[in-house]
Amino acid sequence: MTAIETRQLFKKYGSVPVVKGINLTVEKGEIFGFLGHNGAGKSTLINMLTGIIRPSAGSFSLLGINGPDDKIKSRIGVMPDYSSFDGSMTAMGYLRFLSELSGNKASKETCLSILKKVGLEKDAHKKTGKFSFGMKKKLGIAQAIIHNPELIFLDEPTSGLDAESVIHIQHLIRELHHEGKTIFMTSHNLDEVEKLCTRIAIMKDGQIIKTGSMDELRSYYQSTILVKIKHGNIPISDMTQLTQWLTNVGDNLEIKEQHIIITVNQEKKIADIIRAFNQCKIDIYRVEVDEPSLEEIFLDGQVGVRRVV
Amino acid sequence: MFAISKREFLRLVKGVKSIIIIAIMLITAYYSAKFSNLLLSLEEFTASETERIHYAGLLMLLLVFGQLFVMGLSHDVINRETHDRTMRFLVTRTSRLSIVLGKFFGVFLFWLLCVTVSFSIVFAFSQQLDWLSFLQVMSLLFYQIALTVMLSVLIPKPGFTMFLGIIVGLAFPVVGFWVTFSNNPWVSWLKFVNPLYYLESDVTFPIILLLSAVWLALAYVVFKRREC
Repeated sequence: MTAIETRQLFKKYGSVPVVKGINLTVEKGEIFGFLGHNGAGKSTLINMLTGIIRPSAGSFSLLGINGPDDKIKSRIGVMPDYSSFDGSMTAMGYLRFLSELSGNKASKETCLSILKKVGLEKDAHKKTGKFSFGMKKKLGIAQAIIHNPELIFLDEPTSGLDAESVIHIQHLIRELHHEGKTIFMTSHNLDEVEKLCTRIAIMKDGQIIKTGSMDELRSYYQSTILVKIKHGNIPISDMTQLTQWLTNVGDNLEIKEQHIIITVNQEKKIADIIRAFNQCKIDIYRVEVDEPSLEEIFLDGQVGVRRVV
Repeated sequence: MFAISKREFLRLVKGVKSIIIIAIMLITAYYSAKFSNLLLSLEEFTASETERIHYAGLLMLLLVFGQLFVMGLSHDVINRETHDRTMRFLVTRTSRLSIVLGKFFGVFLFWLLCVTVSFSIVFAFSQQLDWLSFLQVMSLLFYQIALTVMLSVLIPKPGFTMFLGIIVGLAFPVVGFWVTFSNNPWVSWLKFVNPLYYLESDVTFPIILLLSAVWLALAYVVFKRREC
């Protein structure tokens, strides 16, 4: 079942388009990662979906209900990109107030358990005016999940947090995922998106330039694969034949004393090379494949060219 | 809506500015009731007016300074949250109509409490309860709060509504009385949109509630389109 569906969603300020006709589908139970540089339009898209701003054109639905619709609000949790709180209220007070506003006032015990999940249990009765940036981030996440929503929007949930807190929050996101919740998150931490998300979209200049799983994105951007094989001695009798065969299989062949470096365009050819070495009875000690990280894919995606290793 | 009203009410009750205004009202109510008989010697009043003379000081205070007090306390009732972006937590959870009405009724509840306590003090002295004045004052405050909410939606900067609040607060009674009693045809038509005009007669004050509804409707229409 579809959790989020957008159809030609468009937003412009004056004559400047910020989001240019987004078509996106997120299935229930996914952790969907949204990547893009500052100003790419990620937060604007989240703000449109969550009712903070109105789309200029296009339509969307959340959990099967066409938006914008106030009825859906109790079923979604939102951590906006900029979390600022009324400094006169305590964390506990805030959670109780916001959960009541969502129509399901949380008990003190529930609030404490949520604060514990985000690592704020000791600060439950501290006024938010005294909170650090990181603590406000955590409270932003806590308020997004306090009313047990089915669909959670997290706009850069771990930015500005210390390493321990990042692990804590990532664990929480996985826990929420296991509970069956759908999570739509943006992040600048590419490793985090790679680790957590089941699918990813890359946004550039108000448009989604690619959507898919990590493997799909890799195979899309990775038109060539660099393979480095450390091997034993190659019998002189086989050298010519092997070199000729390798030249046909791949490009940029470099043969050194104990290893070869070759560029191939399909993963299958790596298996073929290993098989060829085995047939020549050449020992293989190590095979290194240079795969692009999400960061490389992301950066290449931004400039719009496919990666060449 | 109830949660927002409750929060707004408690925020006002706990605020230092509110405590000062409550103190001014209670002191006025106390001395108005205690020394009201002195007024009787200054001018001739009808029997009905004499009965209500204990409330005169309190009524004058609210009539002249009511708008200033309301604006002083609540000029940023909406735009502070929009400016600080705490409004995002509200608009992602409930309807914008609930937010406008919740804020409005929270402020109204605060003034209802203040006026009720002040009237109770006067009642303790005079042993006479002036229901008509109470309802008239509350309807006037209803209008003034609606106007304040509308301005707070219309103007996004809290600093500007604070400045405008002083101007509107001071101008409200002056302009109000002027258009009510003016014979100038160019301005006298304005009395029909002026709440003070409907306090002249004992039975027309409910019209003020209709005027207030117009301000609230306008506030909602603007807020619905506002980005938070």
